[in-house]
Amino acid sequence: MSKELIKGNIAIAKAALKAGLKAYFGYPITPQTDIGEYLSYEMPKRNLAYVCAESEIGAINMALGAATSGEKVMVSSSSCAVSLMQEALSYACSDELPLVLVNVMRAGPGQGYIYPSQGDYNQAVTGGGNGDYQVVVLSPSTLPEACDLTQRAFYISQKYKIPTMLLVDGLLGQMAEPVEISESKYPEIDNSSWILDGAKGRASREIHSLEPSQYKLNQHIVSLFKKYKEIEQNECDWEEYMMDDAEILVTSFGTMARYAKSVVKDLRQNGIKIGLFRPKTLFPFPSKRLGELSLKVKHIIDIEMNMGQMLKDVRLSVLNNAVVSFIGKPVGDWLKREEMKSAINNIIKESYASI
Amino acid sequence: MQVFSIPKSIKENSRFTFCPGCDHGVAIRLVAETLDKLNLRENTIAVASSGCSVFLYNFLDVDCVESPHGRACAVATGIKRVNKAVGKDKFVFTYQGDGDFASIGLGESLHSALRGENITAICINNTNYGMTGGQMGPTSTMGQVTTTSPMGRNREYHGFPIKTAEHIALCDGTVFSARVALYDYKNIINAKNVIEKAFMAQSKNKGFSFVEILSSCPTNWKLTPKQAHDKIENELIKTYPLGIFKDTTNE
Amino acid sequence: MNKNFIISGSGGQGVISIGGILANIFMLNDFFVSFCSCYGAEMRGGAVNCEINMSDEELFCIENEEVDYVVALNQTSFDKFISRVRENGTIIVNSSLAKINKTRDNIKYIFAPLTDIAVKLGNIKMTNSVALGVLAGLLGNFNVEKVKMAYENVLKNKKELVKKNIDAYLLGYNYIQEG
Repeated sequence: MSKELIKGNIAIAKAALKAGLKAYFGYPITPQTDIGEYLSYEMPKRNLAYVCAESEIGAINMALGAATSGEKVMVSSSSCAVSLMQEALSYACSDELPLVLVNVMRAGPGQGYIYPSQGDYNQAVTGGGNGDYQVVVLSPSTLPEACDLTQRAFYISQKYKIPTMLLVDGLLGQMAEPVEISESKYPEIDNSSWILDGAKGRASREIHSLEPSQYKLNQHIVSLFKKYKEIEQNECDWEEYMMDDAEILVTSFGTMARYAKSVVKDLRQNGIKIGLFRPKTLFPFPSKRLGELSLKVKHIIDIEMNMGQMLKDVRLSVLNNAVVSFIGKPVGDWLKREEMKSAINNIIKESYASI
Repeated sequence: MQVFSIPKSIKENSRFTFCPGCDHGVAIRLVAETLDKLNLRENTIAVASSGCSVFLYNFLDVDCVESPHGRACAVATGIKRVNKAVGKDKFVFTYQGDGDFASIGLGESLHSALRGENITAICINNTNYGMTGGQMGPTSTMGQVTTTSPMGRNREYHGFPIKTAEHIALCDGTVFSARVALYDYKNIINAKNVIEKAFMAQSKNKGFSFVEILSSCPTNWKLTPKQAHDKIENELIKTYPLGIFKDTTNE
Repeated sequence: MNKNFIISGSGGQGVISIGGILANIFMLNDFFVSFCSCYGAEMRGGAVNCEINMSDEELFCIENEEVDYVVALNQTSFDKFISRVRENGTIIVNSSLAKINKTRDNIKYIFAPLTDIAVKLGNIKMTNSVALGVLAGLLGNFNVEKVKMAYENVLKNKKELVKKNIDAYLLGYNYIQEG
């Protein structure tokens, strides 16, 4: 295997193919269209399922149907169009169907534009559709990680029978970095106990979210949340950087975390004891670990390309253990390093002044 | 004399829970009989939709998935395609109401027909939204009184009903499109033959096949079962003529 | 070591191609590298630029306010990106299409008639490779085999094109080496 310099979108598509993708459904929207374009050539070449759907609603519902086969199924889209998919995601959660949704984010609300923004955090981690449910949300920061998390998304979605979203910044989808697309390191899941493949030699199976019995519906949702707890225990993932003696902790996710990391590195050289905590799983959010860390630091600074969405999860993890501040902007050029540095310095100055 | 038994494709001990006089039960039975006849039961994946047709999986003894409202043809597309990709040729059909197929799901339905998806769609047309209590649907006829067209469907407020089977017949990907009714024995037999033709079209890998079934909804039409069937025979088929609008299965 | 680059021009000048080739050269020399491209809504003729970062350590920051090298293939790019050159950084300007004009005294200017050199070689489309050669000449000697591999990665083994482009690259390289 050799490294290749490819765009994030293509890397994700290639990683999905390597993981054993059998069906892809999509509809064009910038900045994720390369995924569908690339697969429109690669999937038919391998006699795999590919539909350029009539809409995002069509695409996600095709995925919903395909997921009943237990095969690896993927859909990709972006922000405002992911909104159109929320209904089917809610169904897929209740139906407990595994599918992978790649959301290469653009700015909103509404149509917004293709500028950088991390404005879909809330939609991704709090469900987005109707009812009491969660989808797993993975957040890569580099392209090698995007490839790994793409393959992990298939694994998690199949292991726990849950839709899994890869929440990707537009920049990560469009930029290129050297990656090595390898076979998935995650084990294959045996789906034979629940898939729909014709009731031959066994009782027929039904997959549905409709449940007229309130008792059963209650039980069903409670069991879903038991599953979410299990996912939290087993699959929470994060990165810690320069945390050993940190007094100030920066929290950030996705591409923003890369920039924040470089700022942390610079500030360390100025003698500031600062570190970075980056969740790789946004749901389940690594609350427990962040809670532990918050007991060791004085101040937590959350940096996001939005008006403070992950901030709520940070606050819920930290409670009153440390002061939490926020640096962010909703859309446009990424926060510049100098901007972040001076904002961090101001926060430090102010908080020490108040002590 | 012919003795009728419960088709194999109907679940043991199941009792239809539709309103008295509703044609859903007859339609599902015809589907089940056809699955039996063509020996498809063990290779079938059915797609139920929203509305009264969602209960399909309570009665049919085949693998079944429910789809979000209107999306049955998209869900069926995904099932058919992914199975083909892994070398499995599954028999896939949808069972939808007219609101599901021709209103909220018209996009998915029409594009599945245009793509020539090798699936079959059965659409129960009872000219209203039955499960929610009889609102005006895409197929409610001109002058039809519903809970949302209390003065009768009119051009000014509501526009015109859709002739679904004729529209689907226009799609190049459609191989078979027909409309049938269930108001008497003769029509029931005919409906079964038509459903068989539609299923055969899929079995021969020909493309999209479609059957629209004019069905009674006595509860919401506020008629007795007999009156409801008379209404189909005397009135509805004027708006919705019965027949096969396209059949290129043997071309 | 950490260096960053902006290459800019108009659509059709091959900006993204040589950006990708430069990034590939760094990759093949085992550096960490990132490559971001940016273009306007116009499919052809609009402004195009890309940014390449290389380092011997893991790259965190992939977009920079200031860069070490700017390559400007036309006047618009020259005007737009002159302010983005870091102090003591270098700008390479295609003097065939941009006026020689030095507005800053804390950076190094290289004015080279890139388009004229490409035309002399017989193909105006090779302007980008001449530019890459000039840049390579400033950075030091890259292994030509790796440069060739980088071209093959981007041009997908269009052998004839690779050879012509390497010729153009070498012309640019020699132009700067010979002063």
